[in-house]
Amino acid sequence: MQMRTWLIGLTAAILAFTAMPWTASADAPYEAYTYNYYRDSVPIPAPYLPERAVTGEELGVGAFKGPNDLYATEDGRVYILDSGNGRIVRTDKEWNALGVIDGFDLDGKRETFGNPGGLFVTGAGDLYVADTDRGRIVVLAEDGELKRVIGKPESDILPADFQFNPTKVTVDRAGRVFVVARGVFEGLMQFDENGQFIGYAGTIGVTQTFSDRLWRSLATDAQRQRMQLFIPTEFSSVDIDHKGFVYATSVDLNSETPIRRLNPSGQDVLKRFGYYPVRGDVRFRIFGNNAGPSRLTDIKVLGGGMYTALDTYRGRLFTYNDEGELLHAFGGKGTQLGVFNTPVAVEQVDGKLAVLDRGKNNIVVFEPTLFGSTVRRATELRYEGNDAEAVGLWEEVLRLNSNYDLAYLGIGKSLLMEKKNKEAMAYFKLGMQRDYYSIAYKRYRREVMQEHFGTLMSGAALALFALAAFLLARRWRKKGGAKREAGAL
Amino acid sequence: MKPEHYKFPFHVILHPFDGFWDMKYENKGRTRIAALIVALLVLSVILQRQFAGFLVNYNDPRYLNSLDDLQYTVLPFLLFCIANWSVTTLMEGEGKFKEIVMATGYALLPMALVNLPLTLVSRFMTNDETAFYYLANSIAAIWFFYLLFVGIMTVHQYTPFKTVVTLLLTVIAMGIVVFVGTLIFSIAMQMYYFVYDVYRELIFRV
Repeated sequence: MQMRTWLIGLTAAILAFTAMPWTASADAPYEAYTYNYYRDSVPIPAPYLPERAVTGEELGVGAFKGPNDLYATEDGRVYILDSGNGRIVRTDKEWNALGVIDGFDLDGKRETFGNPGGLFVTGAGDLYVADTDRGRIVVLAEDGELKRVIGKPESDILPADFQFNPTKVTVDRAGRVFVVARGVFEGLMQFDENGQFIGYAGTIGVTQTFSDRLWRSLATDAQRQRMQLFIPTEFSSVDIDHKGFVYATSVDLNSETPIRRLNPSGQDVLKRFGYYPVRGDVRFRIFGNNAGPSRLTDIKVLGGGMYTALDTYRGRLFTYNDEGELLHAFGGKGTQLGVFNTPVAVEQVDGKLAVLDRGKNNIVVFEPTLFGSTVRRATELRYEGNDAEAVGLWEEVLRLNSNYDLAYLGIGKSLLMEKKNKEAMAYFKLGMQRDYYSIAYKRYRREVMQEHFGTLMSGAALALFALAAFLLARRWRKKGGAKREAGAL
Repeated sequence: MKPEHYKFPFHVILHPFDGFWDMKYENKGRTRIAALIVALLVLSVILQRQFAGFLVNYNDPRYLNSLDDLQYTVLPFLLFCIANWSVTTLMEGEGKFKEIVMATGYALLPMALVNLPLTLVSRFMTNDETAFYYLANSIAAIWFFYLLFVGIMTVHQYTPFKTVVTLLLTVIAMGIVVFVGTLIFSIAMQMYYFVYDVYRELIFRV
């Protein structure tokens, strides 16, 4: 009897022990991946795992209704734009409700929000709300007190019947306001710190496919008039990094550059040094179910040069480094925790990612795994120029996933700096980096040549000498042969 | 096979007019040598795809297949010979099939000769020097086309203009051969499956 209980106890212990890692790894309802050199999606360990979902009921403020945007400040205050209820819910980084702003006083009258599309919070704590249906941008102080209203802009370059429906908003340190407005194809609308319209930034060019052009050239004038106009796409969201560069996404299905990084004069300066365009999925079906490119509807600058773009179409999050190389992609559509219905916004809260789901009316919080945080720390170190410090982390990344090209690149670069050219070559080859490989090889070749210069030159001299001797001998033999022939005659 | 048979291809690629004339009228060419050159080319292609330096080798190692390389070298060669023979027979060409095979085979020698050392050298190249790799490859290809042109012209005793026309027609004929071949293959498959289905029907019912 005692033996039996002992056995049962042992079995239970073994089961519990072996089951533990399984429960840990089976958490993710999606497969994380990245793209390798050959454009294959390569599975990687999940960089983030869903930790919890936050609903309005949990916060004690009542269910959300079609929330449109989320913003988290760097010191961990979170603002949820609950558009359907026309309110802003404030929480701390542990997701405890701090308060609700459901309106403001304008000229002694209580005003409410009309289906607001986006919000932004400055470092000083000012709230910028893009009040879409009311056609204005409302600036509130931290406690909900109205500071000012940026209304419909007046300018010579705007038509008289211009409709101002701002959907997303971001503000740089100087107080310049960048606005994405519905039906504005000229780019981002820029306002100065007093709310004066100054002009557009980052105009998107018109894209036309070959078949579009063919149809147009074949059509008659009457048909052409009834055809859709070729107009550029609108931006879908904006964010700003600490250097004051504006990151903007657009849902242009033909474009290779749906993500842009605009410098202060409005030019796109995003680095695109990866194997493939910065556009979310690069391998997708052309026809049928779930076909077509990603639709990037939100972007968040993570720091360390990294940024995460949100694909509403397939519910995926793509994280890139400052060089435009895909670090990882994960997510999906579904009903489980960690997959989405209609994800609309992504934010970073206390090192975790928070994704606002309009369809599910909740926020999903993703916690970085060991793999995800190691990749992130290594990328940050590399961005700051500490390649040598990053090596240890990249080695850790390779231990977790030996198919991670960027880790090979990171280690290779550091080896190259230490003048370990041969080792660097091996790493660059594994990371499929031809340019860096070439640099390492050039140095290595020079090294070998210098080392063996004596041997090489003696070899060459010897070869020359042997050749001369051979030629002389042949000539001499020919002469001799001729003599013999003459002698025979 | 005498040593001069082995030396003759080198004479041909350096003195094409003279060489192809001797091949046709002095009986100096051998089909076996042409086959050997094609085999050498296959070998060089396989080695190049596998072992060319990292900086110039864009092949996905997971999909390298020597049998494929063999097919994609030998089949176009035969296809060209057959198509050219079919076209030139109708266009008063004087060449026999054997001569076409020999001329085409001998013309391939520069490709095989350049490829092998180039594969080795490419392993010691940096990015700046890869231009020479592509240059050498292009020279080999141009040399091959020149030899093919002269060879076909000599073998059939054509004027240059007629040679160009027949070569273009040969390309079209190659397309037709491939089309007909695919057609026959698909009909043969259908016939096979018809017989197979009848057989299956019978064994299920009887």
